[in-house]
Amino acid sequence: MARPIHPRKEIEEALRYAEEHGWRIEPGGGHAWGRIYCPYNDPECRCGEFCITSIWRTPRNASNHAKALRRVVVRCSHLED
Amino acid sequence: MEYTFTLRYKLADGDQEPDELVERLAEAGCDDALVGIGQRGYLALEFNREAQSALEAFQTALADVRSAIPDAALVEAAPDFVGLSDVADLIGVTRQNMRKLMLSHADTFPPPVHGGSTLIWHLDDVLDWLNARGRYPVAETTIETVRLLRQLNLAREARHLKPDVVQTLDTYLV
Repeated sequence: MARPIHPRKEIEEALRYAEEHGWRIEPGGGHAWGRIYCPYNDPECRCGEFCITSIWRTPRNASNHAKALRRVVVRCSHLED
Repeated sequence: MEYTFTLRYKLADGDQEPDELVERLAEAGCDDALVGIGQRGYLALEFNREAQSALEAFQTALADVRSAIPDAALVEAAPDFVGLSDVADLIGVTRQNMRKLMLSHADTFPPPVHGGSTLIWHLDDVLDWLNARGRYPVAETTIETVRLLRQLNLAREARHLKPDVVQTLDTYLV
């Protein structure tokens, strides 16, 4: 399914990483570029608030933002095993 | 220095549209935070804040959120209350290894603040213990942050303290 590409390369890479782990990406917003949705977003979900996380269009530090997005995915996906 | 910490808020009105709140947070200068909106009525911000000290990082972050969403109430500053998995993540070992470490040093490992089926520690107690053993060095800014997170949670909880109770029981709490 085609979705818009995030203008910042490192964030786009983090989004692809999230997609590889089953996360859904929905574009939309102003300062926000969109959202990522945890695939286990149900009462058993361990991500807490971050099972839906907002993605910035122009974060203060794109590299930090990309790392933080990846951390959300890692934290979630390794807790299931 | 850069300080990483998470602030969890309860929204005064659970029906507030998250998209609108996120836009307001950006305008208030929270574009250095990852905003989690996955639980209705709550909001979490994982800050990566540049500041001269952890105290300054917290103060500016709290002020920014307050100006964006004045009626949101801070419920937890994290990581302060942690399970073994959280500690394992932080120092980069497996949960099993962390468990082994705890069990094989039962005499010196800090006591949990909550027992039962899910054990919970104050992270700064565990980091101090790890630091004293020297095998898992933790960054100075992390320790500074975690100490202050505990202080922040304590300060918030202390608002519920009843002076007469403290006066009567304080001697037994050391």
